[in-house]
Amino acid sequence: MTEEEHPPQADEERHEFSADADSLWRLTLAPATWALHFVLCYATISLACARGLFPVGAARFWLLGLTVLALLVIGRQGYKALKQWNVLDTGALSHPDGRAEDRHRFLGHAALLIAVISTIGTVFTSFPLLLLEGCR
Amino acid sequence: MIFRRPAPPVRPEPDGPYPPTDEMLSTPVPKDEQAAQTKRLRAVWDPPTGWRYWSAVNNTEVGKWYSLTAFFFMLCAGLLALLIRLQLAVPENELLPADRFNQLFTMHGSAMMFLFAVPMFEAVSILLLPGLLGARDMPFPRLSAFGYWCFLIGGVFVLGSILFDAAPRAGWFMYPPLATEDEGPGSDIWLLGLSFIEVASIAAAVELIVGALKCRPPGMRVNLMPLYSWYVLVVGGMILFAFPPLIAGDFLFELERSFDWPFFDPTRGGDPMLWQHLFWIFGHPEVYIIFLPSIAIVAMIIPTVARRPIIGYSWIVLSAVGTGFLSFGLWVHHMYTTGLPGLSLGFFSAASEAVVIPTGVQLFAFLATLIAGRIRMILPMLWIAGALAIFTMGGLTGIMLALAPFDFQVHDTYFVVAHLHYTLFGGMVFPVIAGIYYFYPFITKKQLSVRLGRWAFWLIFTGFNITFLPMHLTGLLGMPRRVFTYPEGLGWEAPNLISTCGAFVVAAGFAVFVWDLIRPKASQPQIERNPWKAGTLEWTHDVPEEAWGMRSIPHITSRYPLWDDPKLLERVDSGRFYLPDAPEGRRETLVTSVIDAEPIMVQRVNTPTWLTHLAAAFTGGAFIFPTFHLYIPAIISGTLAVATILYWLWSSTARPPEADTKDAGLGLRLPTYVSGPDSTGWSAMWITMLGDATAFASLVFGFFFYWTSQPDFPPSGAEHAALGFVALAALGFMVSWALTLAARGLNRRGQESAARGALICGPIATAGGLVALVYAVLPLGPTTHVYPALLWAFAIWISAHGAVGLIMQLYCLAGSLFGKLTPRYDADLWNVSLFWHFFLISALVACALLGPVARVL
Repeated sequence: MTEEEHPPQADEERHEFSADADSLWRLTLAPATWALHFVLCYATISLACARGLFPVGAARFWLLGLTVLALLVIGRQGYKALKQWNVLDTGALSHPDGRAEDRHRFLGHAALLIAVISTIGTVFTSFPLLLLEGCR
Repeated sequence: MIFRRPAPPVRPEPDGPYPPTDEMLSTPVPKDEQAAQTKRLRAVWDPPTGWRYWSAVNNTEVGKWYSLTAFFFMLCAGLLALLIRLQLAVPENELLPADRFNQLFTMHGSAMMFLFAVPMFEAVSILLLPGLLGARDMPFPRLSAFGYWCFLIGGVFVLGSILFDAAPRAGWFMYPPLATEDEGPGSDIWLLGLSFIEVASIAAAVELIVGALKCRPPGMRVNLMPLYSWYVLVVGGMILFAFPPLIAGDFLFELERSFDWPFFDPTRGGDPMLWQHLFWIFGHPEVYIIFLPSIAIVAMIIPTVARRPIIGYSWIVLSAVGTGFLSFGLWVHHMYTTGLPGLSLGFFSAASEAVVIPTGVQLFAFLATLIAGRIRMILPMLWIAGALAIFTMGGLTGIMLALAPFDFQVHDTYFVVAHLHYTLFGGMVFPVIAGIYYFYPFITKKQLSVRLGRWAFWLIFTGFNITFLPMHLTGLLGMPRRVFTYPEGLGWEAPNLISTCGAFVVAAGFAVFVWDLIRPKASQPQIERNPWKAGTLEWTHDVPEEAWGMRSIPHITSRYPLWDDPKLLERVDSGRFYLPDAPEGRRETLVTSVIDAEPIMVQRVNTPTWLTHLAAAFTGGAFIFPTFHLYIPAIISGTLAVATILYWLWSSTARPPEADTKDAGLGLRLPTYVSGPDSTGWSAMWITMLGDATAFASLVFGFFFYWTSQPDFPPSGAEHAALGFVALAALGFMVSWALTLAARGLNRRGQESAARGALICGPIATAGGLVALVYAVLPLGPTTHVYPALLWAFAIWISAHGAVGLIMQLYCLAGSLFGKLTPRYDADLWNVSLFWHFFLISALVACALLGPVARVL
C-alpha cells in the first residue's frame, strides 16, 4: 500500500538524498531559489558598488533578468506542486487523514503555498532594482 | 503490507505485518503479562535515586533541569533590567557608575538571548517532543544531558562574571573596535563562554531534528505530525545555518583578542563590518529561532481551546518554512546606518516587509480556528490572547523599522528597545508562560493555580505596557540606547519614570508566577489525566508519573488521535501496541522512516551516566581557561574532553547487539542495529556536518568580503601560502578520503585485513596533509596584515577538522581490531566516511583559496 518500498540498494547514501528525502527537500526548492536570487542580488550590487567591477546600471539590468528566471523556476515548482495537490480534481482542500495519498497531496499543497510566498519574496526583492538608481 | 525478508538474512529487514489491523489491536493482553511488562519497563526506565539522581539522562529529568536553569537565568537577567530601570528613573542619577551600567545592559541582553530564549526552546522541546511523538525518549539522551551540563557551566561562568565586576560591557552584539580594544576579560568571557553554549545549542538542534524526523510513532506521516514538530524541524534547520556564522565570527574575534590577528582592525587591512555581518547573519534568524517554537506552543494549545482541529495546517507549515527562509534575508536591517549602498538596503527592506506575510498567516490560522471552534476560556488562552495583542503591536513597529528612512531616524533609540521588547514578550515570553500553564500537568502531574495565574497575567500584561509603551515616545524624543544617564529638560523624565514604575509591576507579576511555580503542591489531589481534553499524544501520559514515556508506542492514523480514536488510550495502557515490554532490560524506542513513519528499527537508547558531566566539565575547561590566557590547562582540558567523549562513544554507542532482530510487538520483528542512512547516528552526523559546513562557508564569505570591500586584497606583493605545500596537503586529504571509503567497502565485503590496512594508511595520509598545510602558511606573519591572518585561520580550521578526521580513522581501526566494528556492524565506518565527505570538500575549497584563487584575485 505504500509506495516507498525499494529493493536493497548498493549505494544507500545516494538513495537517501534522492528518493526518501525527495518530498521534504522539495518543500525547500522554491524558497532556496528565492535565497539564491537574493544572495546574487546582494553580491552583485556589492561588487558593482563597493568593488566597482562593473557599472551598476548593467548589474540592475542583469539582475532583473535573473529575477524573471527565478520566477520561472519558482513558477515551475508551484505548477508541479499544484498538480501534486490535485485540488481541481478532488476538491479536497485539507488532508488530515492517514493514507499515503493524503500525505502526497498535503506535500503538494504545502509546496504550492511555499512557492507562492517565494514568488512574493522574489518580486519584493526586485522592487529596489526597478525603483532605485545608482549606488547611493 | 508484508516486509520482504532477503535471503540470506545478513542485514535483517523489518519483517512481519504492518500496518496492524484492528483485529490485531483488539487482541487482549493477559492481565498478569501486563503486570510483568509494566514491572520490567519500570525497572529499566526509572531514573536513579539519591545523589545518583543527577546522573539521569531521561528527557523528562534533563528537560526539567534545562528549563528551570534557563528560567533562573531569565530571572537574573530580569533583575539586571530592574537595576537598569532604577538608574534611568530620574535624570542625572548617580545610583550606578557608567561602567557598571554598561555591564548590566550587556549582560541583560546576552543572558536573555543566549541563556534564556534559545536554551528555553531546547529545554521545552527536549521535555515535550518525545511525548508529542509517542517516543520513549530522545534518540540521544546522553547528548541532551551533555548539552545541559555544558549550558549550566557556560551560563554560570558568563552570568557569574557580573559578580566580579568583570562582565562584558560592549553591548550584547560586541561590536569591534570597542569590544576588541576593551581591557579586561569581559569580551573574552562573552566570546568563549557563549561559543561554548552555542556548541550545546547545535547539539540540541541535531538531537531535535533527528527526533522529529525519525522517532515518530508508526503511521504518523508528515501530514499528521503535531505542528510543534514542524516548527522544531524548521527551527533546528535554522540553528544549523544561523549559529555557525557566529561561531566563525567568534573564532576570528578571539584570534584577534588573544593573538592580535587583525581581522577587524582597519589599520592592518581588517574590517569591523565583517563582524557586524557575521553577527547579524546569526542575530536576525535568531529572533525567529526564538519566536517560532514559542508560537508552536500556541499552535498546540489553540485546537484544545477551540475544541476542534487546527484550520490551515498546510498554511501553518508554509508559515514556518517561509519564515525560516525569509528570516535569513533580514540581517542588514540592523545595519541600515553603516553606509551600505541604497540598493542593498532596499533588498533587505523588501525581505523585512515580506517576512510579515508568513508571520501573519499563522496568526490568522489561529484566529480562524478560534472563530470556527467553541472556545473554552482556559488560563493558557488568556496568556495567548495577551501574546497576540503584544506581538501584533511589536510587528507593526517592526514594519515601520524595516523602512530604511524611518530607521535612520530612530536607529539606536529607545524606539527600537520598545519594538524588540514588544516582539520578544509577545512572541516568546507570553506564549512560553501559556505553555507552562498548559503543559504543567503533563510535566509535573500537578496543576498551577488559576487565581494566581490571572494575577500574574494582569500584573505582567499591564506592567509590560506601562514599561514599554512610553518607550516608543522616549525614543521618538531622541533618547539613545545604552546611555547610563541623561540631562534634564529634554522631555525624557516623565516617560522614563513611568517605564521604571512599570518594570516593577512586571517584576511583581513574575514574583507571583514564580511563587505559583515553586509553592509546595504535595497536598494537591491527583490531577485528571487529560485536564484540558486535548487530542494529541502527550496526554496519554501516565498519572501518577511513570518514567517510560509511553506504555506502548501506538500506531497513529490521524492528527488528533485522542479525539479520533476512542480505543487508543486503553490500548496504549494495556500494552497492545509496539514495544510494550523490555525483556532484555534495555531502554528502547522506535525508529521510523522520515516521510511515512514506517518502522525501521528498535533503537537502544542510553542509560544514566556521569560521563556527560565529565565531558562537559573538560569541554568547559577548554573554553574557559583561554579567557584568562591559561593555554596549557586549556589544552590539557581539551585533550581530556576528547578522551572522555571517545570513551563515551566506545563504551556505549553502536555496540553489536545481543541479537540481530527483536520482536517489537504486533508480530513485527525489527532490526536492533542499522548502519548507514537509516540509522539515527548517520543522520546526526549529516546534520552536524551541515552546521559545520556553514561555519566554514562563513570563513569563505569573510575572504570574499575583504576582497570586495577593500581595493587591495590580497595586498599587491603579499607573500602567499606556498603553492607546493598546499597541493601536497590537498593530495594527502584526497588520498585519505579515498582510503576511508575503501575501508568501508572492503570491510562490508568481509575483507577486514585490507580494511584495516586502509585505516592504517589513511591516518598517515591525513597526518601528511596536515603537516604540509602547516608548512604552507608557516612563513606568513599573521599579525602583520589581515591577509596572512586569514590564511592562518583557514589552516587552523582545516587542521582541527583534519585532526578530528584522523582520530575517527584510528577509532574505526581500533573498533575493527577489538571486534566493535565488523563487516556486519559497521555504523561507525559509515558515519566516519560521511564526515570525510564533508571534510574533503572544505579542505579542497580551503586549498583552492590558499593556492590558486588568492593568486588570481
